[in-house]
Parts: sequence; structure tokens; C-alpha cells
Amino acid sequence: MRMLPVLTRLAWRYLWRNHRRTIIMVSAISVGVWSMIFMTALSRGMVDQVIEDGVSALPGHVQVHNPKFLDDPSVVNRIPIGDAELSRAFSSTDFKAWASRVRVPAVIASEYESRGVTLLGIDPVAEREFGYLSYDDVEGRFLEDADDNGIVIGRKLADKLETRVGKRVVLMSQDPDNEIADRGFRIVGLFDAEVPAFEEGNVFIGKRTAQKMLHIGDTTTEIVFLGDNYRDIEPTYDKVLASIDGSLDVSRWSEVATYLGSMLTVMDGFVLIFMVVIFLALSFGLVNTLVMAVFERVREIGLMLALGMKPSNILGQIIIESMLLLLVGLVIGNLLAVATIHPLRGGIDISVVAEGMEMMGAASVLYPRLYVSDMILANVIVLFLGFLASLSPAWRASRYEPVEAITKVG
Amino acid sequence: MNIVARLAWRNLWRHRRRTWLTVGAMVFSNTLLVFMISMQFGMYDLMIDNTLKVFTGHMQVQAPGYKDDQKMRQTVPDIVPLAGRLRAEFPTEKIAARGWAFALASSEERSYGVGIFGVEPEYEPQVSSIPGLIAEGRYLQQSDAPEIVIGAVLARNLRVGIGDELTLLGSGRDGSFAAAVATVVGIFESGVPDVDRSFAQMPIVAFQDVFFMEGAGHQVVISAPTLEEAERILPDIDAALPSDEGLVMHDWDALQPGLKQAIKADMSSAFFMYGILVVLVAFSVLNTQLMSVLERTHEFGIVMSLGLKPGQLGRLVMLETAMLGLIGFVLGAIGGVIVTSYFSANGLSIPGMEEMAANFNLPPRIYFQATPWTMAIGPFVVFVFTLLAAVYPALRLHKLHPVEAMRVN
Amino acid sequence: MTAVRCVDLCKTYRQGDEDIKALDHVSIDIEEAGFVCLSAPSGGGKTTLLNAIGGLDMPDSGEVWVADRRIDQMSKGELAELRLSSIGFVFQAYNLIPVLTARENIEFVMQVQGVPAKQRAEQSLAILEEVGLSGLEDRRPAEMSGGQQQRVAVARAIVSRPALVLADEPTANLDSKTSDELMTLFTELNRHHNTTFVIATHDQRVMRYAKRLVRMLDGRIVDDIAQDAA
Repeated sequence: MRMLPVLTRLAWRYLWRNHRRTIIMVSAISVGVWSMIFMTALSRGMVDQVIEDGVSALPGHVQVHNPKFLDDPSVVNRIPIGDAELSRAFSSTDFKAWASRVRVPAVIASEYESRGVTLLGIDPVAEREFGYLSYDDVEGRFLEDADDNGIVIGRKLADKLETRVGKRVVLMSQDPDNEIADRGFRIVGLFDAEVPAFEEGNVFIGKRTAQKMLHIGDTTTEIVFLGDNYRDIEPTYDKVLASIDGSLDVSRWSEVATYLGSMLTVMDGFVLIFMVVIFLALSFGLVNTLVMAVFERVREIGLMLALGMKPSNILGQIIIESMLLLLVGLVIGNLLAVATIHPLRGGIDISVVAEGMEMMGAASVLYPRLYVSDMILANVIVLFLGFLASLSPAWRASRYEPVEAITKVG
Repeated sequence: MNIVARLAWRNLWRHRRRTWLTVGAMVFSNTLLVFMISMQFGMYDLMIDNTLKVFTGHMQVQAPGYKDDQKMRQTVPDIVPLAGRLRAEFPTEKIAARGWAFALASSEERSYGVGIFGVEPEYEPQVSSIPGLIAEGRYLQQSDAPEIVIGAVLARNLRVGIGDELTLLGSGRDGSFAAAVATVVGIFESGVPDVDRSFAQMPIVAFQDVFFMEGAGHQVVISAPTLEEAERILPDIDAALPSDEGLVMHDWDALQPGLKQAIKADMSSAFFMYGILVVLVAFSVLNTQLMSVLERTHEFGIVMSLGLKPGQLGRLVMLETAMLGLIGFVLGAIGGVIVTSYFSANGLSIPGMEEMAANFNLPPRIYFQATPWTMAIGPFVVFVFTLLAAVYPALRLHKLHPVEAMRVN
Repeated sequence: MTAVRCVDLCKTYRQGDEDIKALDHVSIDIEEAGFVCLSAPSGGGKTTLLNAIGGLDMPDSGEVWVADRRIDQMSKGELAELRLSSIGFVFQAYNLIPVLTARENIEFVMQVQGVPAKQRAEQSLAILEEVGLSGLEDRRPAEMSGGQQQRVAVARAIVSRPALVLADEPTANLDSKTSDELMTLFTELNRHHNTTFVIATHDQRVMRYAKRLVRMLDGRIVDDIAQDAA
């Protein structure tokens, strides 16, 4: 430890003795680190958006269902607890936001066409916080309360049904006795959504209107809860578990949408692999640089040994030199990454591949996401693996015999 | 080997470790590139194949506007005879007529909205993989029987089995109320939950009766033996369509625009990574060759004082680099070929990826596409960039003055 | 008290097909504050002997004692410690660390020893003055002449007042005037600080300064005479 300042100064001076080589290597490290962070930010941006859109398309970070409902989403498999009782049960717990809703498959028919949709009977006041729709951006108006008699559908769906605000449509579903439950609605609003499938597949009606239509009293098919954000839902999950009837199924969003959940895991794995691969490509150059740096000062190493420096100090000196080289590259690479990602924060228009993105569940504007944790990961990977890579040249350098090193010709 | 080549070769091995490390960077990148590119294109082929063979086929004849709006009344009139005539004219292609409608399907206990295809039982198996996926019962047989096959998830949700009846409620072509009863004769299982949950097929004539189609349908699906063949024959089929009805022909890219774009999006991110790999290799080579030139300054000075021109020395450096690159190319390509042929024979499955793969119609195990192109392109680009990286060190030789150079060391 | 004692040292090198006896049963005692020149033609064994005394090289057999400690059985770490604390080295060339300035080169050893910065600065400036290099402390080796470089090397060798300084052909790359200046410096240091000097050389002018002249040939001591130093 005492030697650290001496060794660091030596390493730094040696680093710039052959400045061309160091500049080339620093450039390579910078490009590598930049690509790690930049690429990760882009991928994160895309995947986060897919997940966030996906999560907001099935709103509720924690969801409660009848255990049979997820496999058989019928009104038959509803939650046997009425709204009145739920309100009583949750009155003592401070959930960030919660709502019960009717969510069942249905058919919507205009005078020309019919389509399959998901019917959402909601209490617009209770669900405002869920944020999947901006009520104010709806053409016409959004539902006003749980007793609203109107229906709000997506613009794309309206196009396909050849209908518009003010026109009538018929919703058909089934009641618990499998009698067809249908009802006419006047379209009061059209909404737009980032993800076309959401716009085409969901229709909103008042919760109590839906309960009346489906003859289910004051029961619903799902209860949803909001966590602080979709990555941090465990506290909410635990609270829900504690306050709900044990016979019901409590799931995290990642369990309801396993595809989205696995995407998050796959993404984390991908980021790690990508960074390691880029580092490996870099490592050859790094080791090469160190080997050359040692080679061209064998005599000086011999001299230092002769003067009484311990082999471990030589080892330390080469490793410090490698770390300094990496640090310079890291600083530039990180700055470069921030500098290139920052101007793109407003989003990258990738609408040329919009439908391909839709296939993956993403929207046509890509917002890079620069996570501090990803930056730290990239830096740690480079430093840690860089340390491992420099062990061999450093070890060899420390093994020279002083006499042979000093008398080396050339 | 002439003397210059021999000189270049010897120079290369003056620093064995350095040379091998530089070659190592190339081999690593080349192997990785061959591996990734082969995997990528293997995946794309599968994606296209699997997606198209479910329903889409290579091309479809439709009424104008149907592709975007899918409205009931955007029909192809007399669709069964049209399909028959096209079959006769193009015997090598697989051709089948279809209608499509949306209906509420009700069993005793449940009701769900489903998309219903009216199909030609005889020809549908040639253009779609669904008929081959019957897990229970049988596929449709007669084109006018009131029968229906449904997906496995739908059957489970509706709680029906073979022999049960389903009531269908929907709108007919003119928007009027359409209702019918059909018997479930078969249940298919594709393994893709969305497909198994939301589709049913019934014979086209029965379909036309239920939905008041008056002989019309919505799409004539055409599958060619290969994608290339499909592109070649499309104009011919287009020309053979009846001219007075304004029918349009869509190729698979138009029918599944997401597919090519998903591939494009994936490609651009993959090529970003490839680009970085190549640039890093180039830096490695630049470093090595620049060092190798600088440490020989004294030596070059001597040779130049003997009368060699800087250009000749530059060529020597380029020759050394080419040899270096060639070793990397050959070893990398060999590494890549070994890895790739292993995976093209045994397939690659990544744990945890199955669900994502299914979303793109990919099987859990991916077999690589090993063609000379996918194997050679990566190493080739690396080789080119290797040579480019040596240009600066080679040009530096022009700045060398023999006397000054000799004074170094 | 003896500064260095060598007993029956043998060392054989293999060069090509030939075995070369660099040390052939060499025994020598060097008294404290001695000023000894080892002279021999190239390959005579003087460098090998010097390296053995400095613990840089291990004899095949025999004993080496420095300041009453047997060093030929020490570990690398112990040897490093010994060199650091008690032995100064001056080599023929490449004596200095090229990336460090004159003063940093001198302070280097002290820094490794753990001498505090203030004391280092004082000592290094003092020693630079003593070797006549005041004002050049911030130059790097490449910015100094050969003689100046060797003076820095000497300054470094003696700065921590080692009991023993070993010099291997210290004047080989110097002109005669510079050589004389360097040897005068050695002599003064020997006189003022009682530092023992062992200098390997085949330079006649250098030998003139020695109080004791040891001649070697083919790995053996052939002559050992006391003389009046110049």
C-alpha cells in the first residue's frame, strides 16, 4: 500500500512514454465501452417500452383473480367478493391505488362488422392513477363514472367497424348462466394508444353498467393494485397477500404476462453477454499492449529489481498501468456514451420498422434508457476482466531475473 | 516464396506473442461473426417460414382494401371457381380459397369471440400448417358440411370436445345477423396460445351459407415451393386474374409487414455489434503494425540507405498485414465452421428463451443456416479492415529519412 | 570488520556448446571502507563476482557474506530488502528509469524504503549538489549527457548511505575527463562516508584510483595488491 503512489506515478509515466500505442488502445477501449453503454441504452429503451406498454395494457402491477380465471377468462370464474366488501377490507391498508374491474372477452358489432375485444368495465375515477390512458386526450369524452352508459373504444377499432363518436354499437358476452348478455351502447369517446393492439383490442364501459349487463351483482373479475413502479412491486405484493382472501390468486404482472417477465430476464442476460463479448474482443489488444510495454522495458524492470524493488511491486506496477489505461478509456467511453445518448433522449424515430416493432410489442419511437446500473456494470466488467487479463503479462514481468534483464541485449 | 514474401513472413514471427495475440483477436471475432450470422439467418428463415405457413402463404389474392380493413364486404366474388381456375393454370403452386368472419362462439357453458375461416378442406392442408396439427378428431372433409375445427385452448375455454355443438353468432356480409350451429369434428394444437385460442375453421361452402357470402370469399392463398419461386411467379398469377373485378395481389411482405421489419430491426442491432467487433480488431491490428514499424525504424533506415523506396517498404508492411489477416481469416473461418456445423446439426436452445422464441413463431431449438456466404462474410470484412488498419503505419514510412532513422536507438 | 566475504565461489555458464567457468573457487575478503577494483578482461568473471556480492546472481557453490550476513541462501524478498537497505548499484548503462526525472530517480529508492516526502526532497537535493548536478533535478535521463546520467546513478546509489556500493564498468560509456570526475567523486565519497566501493572495470585509468587492485582471469583471482590511490 505504501508503494501505491510510487507505482502509480511510474505506471502513468510509462503509459505515455509510447503515446501512440496508448492513444490507439484508449480509442479501442473508449469505442468498446461506448458501444456497451450505447447499445444497452437502446436495447433497454426498447425492452422497457415493450414491458411498460405491456404492463399498462394489462394495468395493475399486482393482480388478484379467481384461480381459474387466467386459464378460463369467463365471467363464471369471477371473484366471489362484492365491491362493498372489498372497500371495507382494504379501508385500513394504504395501497397506492387499487381498483376492481370487470374484464371479460366480448364481441363488438357495428351495423357493418363485428370484432372480438376485451370488455373492461371500470370505475374511471378509481383507475385514473393507473395511467394507461390519458382521459383528457380522448376524442369526445372518457367515461365519467362507474354508472356511465357510454362506451369508449380505440380509433383503429372504430375504423374497422366503420363507426364513430355518437354511433351505436352492440356488445355481446355471456352471463354466469351462459346466456348471451348483450347491450347497445352509444360511443362517447375514441382513444389512441401507442401500441396498436391495445387500441384495437380493448373497449371501456362503466363498471356498474357492465355488472348489470352481465348480471353479476357487485362482483368483478379482477382486482388490481399499483406498486411504486413496475420493477419494484414486492412491498405491494406482500401487502395484497396479507389483506386478501387466501383462496384467491395473487400474481405479479410478470406472472400474468410471462412473456414480458421473461423478456426482462432475457434482456439482463443479453446485456451481460454483449458486454463480455465486447470486452473479450478488447482484451487481446489490452494484453498485447501490456506485453509490448513489458517487453520494451525489460532492462528497466531488471534495474528496479536490482535496486531492491520486490517482484510483487513490479507485478503491481504493470497491473496499475493496465488499470490506468482502462480508466482513461472508461472515462472517455462513458462521456462519449452520455454525449451520444443525451441528444437522443427525445426519442429515435424508427417508424420505418414500426410494424416489425409492433410484432415485438414496441412502439415506433425508441427512447434510449441510460441506467446508472448498466453503466456501473459496464465499468465493473471492464475493470474486473481487465484486471484478470493483465495478470499474465504482469506476472511474467515480475518473474524476470535482474541480471538477465539488465544484460539483455537490444 | 520470393524473398520479399519470405522477409515479411519472418518479420511476422519476430514477436510471436504479439502476432498470436493479434491473430487471436481476429480468430475470436471471426468465429463469433460466423456463429452469430449463421444463427441469425437460420432464425430469420425459420421466422419467415413458420409465420407464413400458419395462415399467410406466400401471396394472396384479395379485394382492394381488404388487407388493411378486413371488412366483410371487401370480397373476392366466385372465389372457389377462381381458385380452381388458378390451380389448373399454375399446377406447381398450392392454391386454396378462404373466407374470414368474426363470430361469437357459444357452447353450453361459455361464449368467446373467434375468428372463423371458411376453407376448402381439400386444398387448405397444402397452404397452411393448421390442418396438420389436428390433435384430436379429424380435419374437415366435405366443403358443405356444418362442421368446425377449433384450437385446443379455445376448446378448453369453451369446454367442448369432439362431437359437441357450437352456436355461432355474427354479422353476415351485408351486416345482417348471422347464426348457425356447427359440430366440432377436430381440435388443433399449434403450441402458440394466440393461434390456439382465437381461430376456428369451417368448410367454405357452409361458411358462405352462414355469412351470406353468395359464393364470395376474402382471400385466395398461394404457396410456392420456395420464397424465390414465389417472387418469380407472382406477376404471372397477377396477370391471370380476372381483369374486371379489380382484385389485387399481395406478396408475403405486404401481408406480414411486421416480419421483414422485425428482421430489419434485429439486423441493425446485430450489425451494430458486428461493426464494433470489426473496429476493435482493426484497432488491434493498427496497434501491432504501428509498433512493428516504429521499432524497426533503425532497420528501415539501413535498408532505405541501401536504396529501397518507402513505397516498397510500405508494400512489405502491407504484405505482413495481409499474411497476419490471412492467418486470422483461415483460423477464424475454421473455428466458425466447426461451431456452426455443430449447431446446424444439433441446434441451439437457450434456456429461458423459449417463450420469446414462440412469440416470433420460432421453435425452442434453432438450427443454424450454414452457407458459404454466412460463413465467409464476417471473416472477409475483418480481413478488409485489417488491411485498412495497416495503411497508416505503411504511410508513415514515407516520412522516414534514412540518416535520421538510423540514428534512432 | 569485513564488508564482504566470499568463500570458494564457483559459477559455470553454458554458452553454446561450451561451459564457461565464470567463477572458479574464488575467495576474497573486502574490508570496511575499502576501495577495490576488480579488473579482468571481458569474460574474466568480474561482473559475475560483483553480481554474486550484490545478490543479483547465485553462485553454484560457496558462500557470500555481506555485512556478516550470509546472502547466498536468502530468498528473493530478503535479497531485495538487503539491496534496498545496504547496497548501492551503479551499472555500465541504462542506470536510470527513463520516465522519471533526475530527482525522482534518486528519490525512487527512498520512496521504496518508505522515507517521508520532506526528508526525500532534502536528501535528494543535497546529494544532487554533492555530485555536482544542482539545477538539473527536473531533467529526464534523455535530456542529460552520459556523464550526468552516471552521476545521477551514483547519487541514487549513495543517497541512502549504503555501506557498500557496487559499480560495474561505470565509466565504459564516458570520455576520459568525465571518467576522472566520476572516479574523483567515488574517492571522495569513500573518504567522507567510509562507504565500501567495489568497482569492476578494465579501464586502466579507473584502476589508478583503487586502494586495492584485484585482477581476475578465467574466473580466478590471479593478483591482489594494495596500492596508493591516485
